Amino acid sequence: MTTNKIEIKDLTVNYTENKRSFNALTNVSFNVADGEFVSVIGASGCGKSTLLSVLEGLYAPAGGSVKIDGEELHGTGSERGVVFQHYSLFPWMTTKKNIEFGIKQARHDVKRNERSKIADEFLQKVGLGEFGRKYPSQLSGGMQQRAAIARALAMDTQILLMDEPFSAIDAKNRVVLQELLLELWEGDGTEKRKTVVFVTHDIDEAILLSDKIVVLTAHPGTVNEIVNVPFERPRRREELVKTDEYGKFRSRLLALLYNDIAERIGGEEVVL
Amino acid sequence: MSFVKRYLRVTHILFAVLLLIQLLPDKSVKEVHTGSLIAAAVGIEVIILVASAFIKKEKSLELLLDIAGFVYAVLSAWSLATAKFNVLNDLLFPAPGTVIHQFVEDRDKIGINVLSSLGTTLQGFLIAVVIAVPLGLFIGWSARVGGAATYITKFFSSIPPIVYIPYGIALLPTFRSVSVFVIFLATFWPVFAGTMSGVLNVDKRIIDSAKVLNVGKAETLFRVILPAALSQIFLGCNQGLSVSFILLTSAEMIGARDGMGYYVKYYSDFGDYTRTITGLLVIGFVVIGVTFLFNKLQNHLLRWKR
Repeated sequence: MTTNKIEIKDLTVNYTENKRSFNALTNVSFNVADGEFVSVIGASGCGKSTLLSVLEGLYAPAGGSVKIDGEELHGTGSERGVVFQHYSLFPWMTTKKNIEFGIKQARHDVKRNERSKIADEFLQKVGLGEFGRKYPSQLSGGMQQRAAIARALAMDTQILLMDEPFSAIDAKNRVVLQELLLELWEGDGTEKRKTVVFVTHDIDEAILLSDKIVVLTAHPGTVNEIVNVPFERPRRREELVKTDEYGKFRSRLLALLYNDIAERIGGEEVVL
Repeated sequence: MSFVKRYLRVTHILFAVLLLIQLLPDKSVKEVHTGSLIAAAVGIEVIILVASAFIKKEKSLELLLDIAGFVYAVLSAWSLATAKFNVLNDLLFPAPGTVIHQFVEDRDKIGINVLSSLGTTLQGFLIAVVIAVPLGLFIGWSARVGGAATYITKFFSSIPPIVYIPYGIALLPTFRSVSVFVIFLATFWPVFAGTMSGVLNVDKRIIDSAKVLNVGKAETLFRVILPAALSQIFLGCNQGLSVSFILLTSAEMIGARDGMGYYVKYYSDFGDYTRTITGLLVIGFVVIGVTFLFNKLQNHLLRWKR
């Protein structure tokens, strides 16, 4: 039996803008099992990033509960590592210093020279072995995200939260980064996999990486459907995309996304 | 770079012209110290020729040559107008050789005065920075008082620090402490304001990044907020530094017994305009030297910026 690492129940989130309160998420409920890779997809404005900031501990919900290992979530915590779309790294620290700084925050027992060794090891893993002394501004967007992933993995947190980490990367490099993340997360099967919540608007990205996909709808932002991804691991993109099952599964997800959008447009037309 | 680009430059022609001008007979009845001028010009020429052999970037070489060329042109015109044709009043306008000679002769006195001025400036400036930066960090970081502090700072920084001088004289025992006090005030407010606005303008995403890493309060302030606000802090420091020199020399002219402002004021009171001009030029070189070093420090600490 798998245990639930993260339990989200009846989550409601409001945010205020110009003194007006908006409802971002209503009655969102789903669970993430230990070692599971879950993607949250949805059109822009459906509150998927808001959902992640609640998990990060940056934003307090208006109602409902979020539990990690059965305990109510309060603020940020060192059992969660985060990769943002932008500014995950501090621009005034070199790439390696950034990773060492992350390790220092998350793993208090690791000594200074040990941190340096771990940082080098993870820089190698993401293909940045030569770039440890560079500042983030000297790296391309894709390399910055590699470094951010290296830091999140080096921190060795049980949970990884990723907020559209590849959205600002060009299409070609995005594919490379997805495969790198897949490879690092799947590992060789001997190590325990991390629990991941991954927010994206890219359907193919979600299918390639996830065990389970949570499809959100907007207005109100809530769960439309939770779909299990039926493909075997380890996955290889070239083989996966050629299969009929992939095409069918993809169409089903598209329909879930677009039905929602079509309903909304239809609804507005009636009003007009 | 080719030999032609490196060595065959207009600057060197200007150098030759300057030397040729010195062959003209002197018309001024005063001693014009042509030897000192020639020695200085040859000195500059040797330096740029040696530098020409080592400078790799064409832009830097051009910059150096252009500046030297400008210096030669000014020295030539100055020399012609004073020593050679005596078209300017030679009481008010000493020849360039005379000023250079005076500088060499007075070098010990000038050295003492420069050190005194620099010591006073650095003391006031550093005390201000050491207090203003941490204070600005704490107050800017606490959102509650940040807004009010911005207005209060605006009020105090709008008072030209020079008007504190008479009050400072009444308040403090020595003239040096008055200078330090006024420089402190002139630096404190812009650095404090710069630090606060730097803190208030730190990108929210950077703060979020620190939060999700669970960085402690003190570490957030000094390892995240401080570096993120650093370029604005330097803006305040630069402003403070440039005002400091203006204030210092003004203060020294009012009542000090040493310092470069005192040197200029003292000798112009005696109508010794050779020393006055020498003093002016030395102040120019000192200020540019300090500014240069400060910019080096700034570029080093902000090297992570694109």
